[in-house]
Amino acid sequence: MGPLPQENAEVIVRHRLPVRLWHWISVLAIVGLLFTGFCILNVHPRLYWGEVGNAYTPALFALDSSDPGGPRPTTHPAPAVLVVGNRRFDVTGRLGVVADAGGDGLYFLIANTPESWQFGAMRAWHFTIAWILVLGWMSYAIYLIASGQLRSRLLPRLSQLRPRAIANDVLNHLRFHRATGEEAKSYNLLQKLSYLLVVFVLLPLMVLTGLTMSNAITARFPELYSLLGGRESARTIHFLCAFALVLFAVIHVIQLFVAGFLNEMRSMITGRFTIRGSRLP
Amino acid sequence: MSNKVTRRTVVTAASLGALGLAGAVALRGARIKDDILSASEQLTLRTQRLLLGRRTLAREFSARDVSPVFPVNGTHVPPGAAYQELVASGFRDWTLKVYGLVKHPLSLSLGQIALLESRTQTTMHCCDEGWNAIATWTGVPLSRVLALAEPLTRAAYVVFHCLDRREDGELYYESIDLSDANHPQTILAYRMNERPLPVGNGAPLRLRVETQIGYKNAKYIDRIELVDRLNGLGKGHGGWWEDFDGAVWYAAQ
Repeated sequence: MGPLPQENAEVIVRHRLPVRLWHWISVLAIVGLLFTGFCILNVHPRLYWGEVGNAYTPALFALDSSDPGGPRPTTHPAPAVLVVGNRRFDVTGRLGVVADAGGDGLYFLIANTPESWQFGAMRAWHFTIAWILVLGWMSYAIYLIASGQLRSRLLPRLSQLRPRAIANDVLNHLRFHRATGEEAKSYNLLQKLSYLLVVFVLLPLMVLTGLTMSNAITARFPELYSLLGGRESARTIHFLCAFALVLFAVIHVIQLFVAGFLNEMRSMITGRFTIRGSRLP
Repeated sequence: MSNKVTRRTVVTAASLGALGLAGAVALRGARIKDDILSASEQLTLRTQRLLLGRRTLAREFSARDVSPVFPVNGTHVPPGAAYQELVASGFRDWTLKVYGLVKHPLSLSLGQIALLESRTQTTMHCCDEGWNAIATWTGVPLSRVLALAEPLTRAAYVVFHCLDRREDGELYYESIDLSDANHPQTILAYRMNERPLPVGNGAPLRLRVETQIGYKNAKYIDRIELVDRLNGLGKGHGGWWEDFDGAVWYAAQ
């Protein structure tokens, strides 16, 4: 193989070590929290608004038997419906499995999780991993502010907020434009806003709604109920934020391919990032 | 240059650490798993005790907030003829035994318990499954019963042995520490929504520990034992769900 054609390429340090560590710790933690969280939702797949919610109160979203209060189905798959507000969708055999849990009545499951995934243990892991996410987030937030990177890297520059610049940035995203040269050295506007949204809105909201489900915490801080509209509202917001994080992760990974997968991955592992098309002095 | 050395040091240290952890997990996996989970539980317990104080009251509601239907979960009726006889006789022959690390072991009938001071509270019961419901509970503060029995200084935990045998043949039990036991809202309830405690909700006596989650609120209490450590009971995790489902013992969430 001959020498590679000479190209104007410059290698910069894109992400410092604390950022890379926090990123990967958070990736692992969020995957763990999503998995255990799914198992927890699975036991009672009904989401409510307000203070109180149980099998006898109306739900915003529920996976339910199409025959509530009727005789216990003994055949599988038993009738199942997805309830969204007032609308009911038949999902028999597709989304819902209704299992007869003996004397404990019916359990409406999104999926039939193996019995060895003990529900109590899933909760124990959920809280353990949550500590990792919270401590990591706190360290990262302090680092971001103390190092000045919040201002220099994440907060939008004034020039990025001009209508023309905003329109240009949106257009670039729609065209899956790959940044080169100087523009590749800093985050674009939508990128900055989505990172700020995740770090300072979604993750804190995730933690606050999680804490609002704790009777000991709310005994001391009952304001959390008013802030989040009640205990069951907090639980619903907790799941909505989880879905929003999944949505962010999907777009985030698609953007990796748009921006150059190997280069981006390397920048989050070793820190080094190659800028192509830049004019070397 | 110094930057590079630092990075190398960090990467080497991290790799060695990961290698050590992987080796330790391979050697004694189950033990490590338990250690991690109990470390995080202790972290939660200590942080909450430090930040929240021990006497903060959980939210109380008014009578009109009481849920029209309060779901019955777990055991609906304890199996066996002995319990049926207790129900038939209105729990006349049932007594609450308080024993273990106490100066004065007690045996109290339902009538005697009702003569002690009582506390009525309308609170939210939060199941670990995610649902909740509000009810009014009347009972004797556990601290009052403990004061009568006078726990020895060695005593650290209050264990509730229950009348309901689970499908695996084990008796249901739960435990809390003395700090939660002496919380003003921690009561032994014998009335629910102004009526005698129904069978589905734990007749004749159930625990209400309002700063913790559903399964800690043991139903069908038969005996209360004071102990200095929990590893001598059941499988040693302090409760039936803790033993058989890996549930957290300190369940404030």
